[in-house]
Amino acid sequence: MSATIEKPDVRPAQADVLIVGNGALGLFLARELSAAGAGSVVVVGPADRSSGGSQAAGAMMGCFAEATSESLRTQPARTRFELGVAAHERWPAVLAALQEHAPGGRPLLTAPETHVVLNSIGAELDNVNLAAIINALTEYGKPWQECDPHDIPGFNPRTDTRALRAILLPEEGAVDARAVLTALQADLLASGVTLLDASVRTLLGDSDSVTGAELDDGHVIEAGKVVVAAGALSESVLKTLIPDLDLVPTFAGLGFAMIARRTGGEPFRSVVRTPNRGFACGLHVVPQADGTEYYGATNRLVDEVGSTTWMADVRFLAQYSMQQLDERAASHEVVRWLAGNRPVTLDGFPLIGWLPRAGLYLMSGTYRDGFHCAPLLAAHVANELQGKPGLIDPIFQPTRRPVATRTVEGSIQEYVEHNLAGWFETGAQAAPQLTTRQIADYYRNMATQFYERVGTDYALGPDILWYAQGSLVGGRRVARYLRRLQPAAAGTGAL
Amino acid sequence: MTIAQQTTVAAVRTLVVQHLNLALPEGRPAEDDDLWKLGMTSLSCLGLMLAIEDEFDIELAQDALKEATFQNLATISAAVDAVLN
Ligand SMILES: Cc1cc2nc3c(=O)[nH]c(=O)nc-3n(C[C@H](O)[C@H](O)[C@H](O)COP(=O)(O)OP(=O)(O)OC[C@H]3O[C@@H](n4cnc5c(N)ncnc54)[C@H](O)[C@@H]3O)c2cc1C
Repeated sequence: MSATIEKPDVRPAQADVLIVGNGALGLFLARELSAAGAGSVVVVGPADRSSGGSQAAGAMMGCFAEATSESLRTQPARTRFELGVAAHERWPAVLAALQEHAPGGRPLLTAPETHVVLNSIGAELDNVNLAAIINALTEYGKPWQECDPHDIPGFNPRTDTRALRAILLPEEGAVDARAVLTALQADLLASGVTLLDASVRTLLGDSDSVTGAELDDGHVIEAGKVVVAAGALSESVLKTLIPDLDLVPTFAGLGFAMIARRTGGEPFRSVVRTPNRGFACGLHVVPQADGTEYYGATNRLVDEVGSTTWMADVRFLAQYSMQQLDERAASHEVVRWLAGNRPVTLDGFPLIGWLPRAGLYLMSGTYRDGFHCAPLLAAHVANELQGKPGLIDPIFQPTRRPVATRTVEGSIQEYVEHNLAGWFETGAQAAPQLTTRQIADYYRNMATQFYERVGTDYALGPDILWYAQGSLVGGRRVARYLRRLQPAAAGTGAL
Repeated sequence: MTIAQQTTVAAVRTLVVQHLNLALPEGRPAEDDDLWKLGMTSLSCLGLMLAIEDEFDIELAQDALKEATFQNLATISAAVDAVLN
């Protein structure tokens, strides 16, 4: 991919719009701006996209297959869900335009449809989320059908984790993320956008406005508008200019996935996945453009952006892919290990909007479906940068108070369900006398204690709660932020 | 040990006793008693850490936020003094 990145002899010293970050969001934005004739555009980002989310993404074009019992329960969650629905409609045109730049001319759309399977190792959460998927499809009038799990091409699980039920979503498939990024870069270069293989060390400006950025080698680019789209590193980039920026806190959701070459058996021709489960996006396989298969993905909130892979995650993915998707995967050849960071926010909602410095804009916080949402978000941001009306709801403003969608009791319950799902999927062995209710009590107790100790009534999602109670760094960030948010409640906990 | 260090240890001890819910004689736990063995959990450690930062009005360095720092009164006090000095 690096071969296509321009290394101009004279790097631009000015741009109308400088985009910090070369993931899906940054590149799609550059494309929109260039198509709109919005002046000179420079995108800065390391060619290898080290630890970025986009280069590791399964790039499922999922919104209904991603639905959970939370998706339509509250108005803000529904607004978020509809972002995905609207983004989905943009992809056919995007793919038609990018296909001419596809590596090797291979189709960018690698799977036209998705099978969601309900298997015997998933806990109650799987049933709940499958019902949520079907409800959402029905409510929005989208096509789906029941199908016999035996008829899913490539699907060949072990008997102990066989699927009891499966549905087909004929309008949700997947693209090859890495091929799309390569095609996007070629498209941008052809239309005169400058791509710089570098990192931004610090944003430049004063207390009123942003004026540009300094790269890691000291080169300065002046720009009247700077868009930060640096994924999970966005907050740290912004703090180089605004150290006390009051942003909804962001975290890195480190994910691991593998690309494997099949050595036998029938290949997958669709995305085959479980519902969202156990803090992550479910287990899934995504056919890739070159005939390989993507097996994903884990999700763990971490203290620092990085690309470490834990043995536990390697085991998780390898074992469950063999068990739950295709037992022949055992002899597949792993050709690539992918690790990337999802940009996660405390309230789970994206961060899209102007910041308190004239000319400075943030687009991030897309968590699990940023690849899918990128074309819509890019069109929205391009409009806003040009002073035109935006396309999405303003609730995603980055310096908002965190969006509240649950009660503390609901948060604790959700935490218990996710942990139980994780517990059973990983085959955790308990003494026979230990009942599911007792395990649930243990997790309930942990979550209750967390809320008592932190003394807040802002209710967290299960993933943030898991992270905050397990990491001192995460716990401190979450606790300090929540206490600042509610000065009246500070100190009223058991501290 | 300087007076300042003794004061830190004593203040940390008070918070530890409170947050770990310990019923121990005066002057206990000893400076090198392992708090994890006394029943500290990741959650009580989180509460203790927040209380220490509040009490001393400090922010512990990020790399101090690990199990080893909260091993005993001496290690906690050293981390606190590192910020205070
Ligand atoms: C394992 C995994 C699976 C996923 N699966 C899916 C999926 O199936 N469908 C889906 O829609 N989404 C999926 N996602 C989520 C998706 O990848 C993200 O939401 C999305 O890619 C975020 O895009 P981004 O452009 O905001 O950030 P990133 O892709 O993280 O891009 C940010 C870029 O900025 C660069 N950068 C960082 N700091 C600087 C700096 N100082 N200067 C310049 N550049 C910098 C980084 O190197 C990186 O290239 C998945 C994510 C992971 C990790």
